[in-house]
Amino acid sequence: MYGIVVGHLTDHPIAPVAVLPGDNIVIRQLKGINNFIAIDLNERILKNYQINISGLPNSDLRITRWVLMLWVSVLMSALIFIPLGRMIKKDRYGSKSRWVNMWESLIGFVHDEIVEPNFDHKYIKTAMPYFSSVFFFILFCNLMGLVPGASTATGNLAVTGGLAIFTLLGMFAVGFVKQGPLWIVTGIVPHGIPVFLFPMLWAIELVGLLIKPFALTVRLFANMTAGHIVIIIFLYLIMMFESYFVGIASVAGSLMIFLLELLVAFIQAYIFAVLSAMFIGSSMHAH
Amino acid sequence: MQVIQEGLLKVDPGLLLWTIITFIVLVLLLWKTAWKPIVEALDARAEKIRGDIDNAEKARQEAEKLFGQHKEMMDRAKDEAAQIISKGKEEAEKVKNEIIEKANVSGKEITERAKKEIEIAKEKALTDLKNEIVSLSTDIASKIVKKNLNSSDQKGLVEEALKNMRTVQ
Repeated sequence: MYGIVVGHLTDHPIAPVAVLPGDNIVIRQLKGINNFIAIDLNERILKNYQINISGLPNSDLRITRWVLMLWVSVLMSALIFIPLGRMIKKDRYGSKSRWVNMWESLIGFVHDEIVEPNFDHKYIKTAMPYFSSVFFFILFCNLMGLVPGASTATGNLAVTGGLAIFTLLGMFAVGFVKQGPLWIVTGIVPHGIPVFLFPMLWAIELVGLLIKPFALTVRLFANMTAGHIVIIIFLYLIMMFESYFVGIASVAGSLMIFLLELLVAFIQAYIFAVLSAMFIGSSMHAH
Repeated sequence: MQVIQEGLLKVDPGLLLWTIITFIVLVLLLWKTAWKPIVEALDARAEKIRGDIDNAEKARQEAEKLFGQHKEMMDRAKDEAAQIISKGKEEAEKVKNEIIEKANVSGKEITERAKKEIEIAKEKALTDLKNEIVSLSTDIASKIVKKNLNSSDQKGLVEEALKNMRTVQ
């Protein structure tokens, strides 16, 4: 059972699949794309780029299920937001289309709840593109994970860590640019403390600074993984007990968790984006 | 460090790298094509709505001011109307009193004049009577003288004359 659960929740490079004669045209095209990635890209080119970092498992640049899901999210974002930008620009004073208004309200949510409370007025315009990207990218990854057959890209420490690295870099970049290179020494320690406490507090604050993105990483990963584990285990109970009654209860239970996961997908995207905004915004000013 | 080598908590550097690349591509792709126009359009709309609200507030204040002026004017007009009515009433009262006074005065004058006329008529009548009596007396006297009547006749005549006088009176 551990194997099944972990097999669902862990990453594998895209492997070739056999094209059967009975497949219809759509399946054949999808399998063709899959085999193009698996054979032409993964086996011939990307397998040769080895990455060996001490402490981390040896790896290469082969495209995996998770990478594919990330790309699907990028594709969705592009397909939704690029035409949306044109539509919103065309109807300057509000579109009648429900589709446009739905996305507009979500963008307004990012603007009002994530960016505006954490940034000065003049930086909102600069910060909006980044945080909108973070929010919608994570949101689409989370929601794609709920589609049967797809997988949750954000339920992986490497993906959430990769996103949190941007928050860390953002904190450092904004701190250095806005408060000068000495920010890392004076900017992060509260003013008005005794001098002899300064080194100790500086060390604590520095560690705190590094822990913040780490907490982001683990929070998103744990939230997205936990729900999936529960759903899988609920369904696995049917196979364990081989009983219809268990089946009814399991399906009902996993449906409830599924709906909860829908909520969690939004909440976690919001939390990741809002905490990133808070961390990056707080290195704008000395505190 | 064993825990991040395999299983659920595995941190795959390849996937990490792909995540970073993918995210950078996403941000660069959407920055100019999507987020910038959307944010600009939304900002412009917010600005317009703010302007509209300001204008509406101004218009409301203007309307309130006008309404106040209008009300003041109405009040003043009402006061004026009331004043005009009361003045009219006063004047009417005055005119009425004057007319009554005049009527009283002229009535008194008329009675006075009537009394005077009656007095004059009475006096005239008395003078006439006196003249009559005088003429009658002279007549009688002349008759007595003419006839030379005896004393009884004379007495009868005087009495007759006196009777006549009494009837005249």
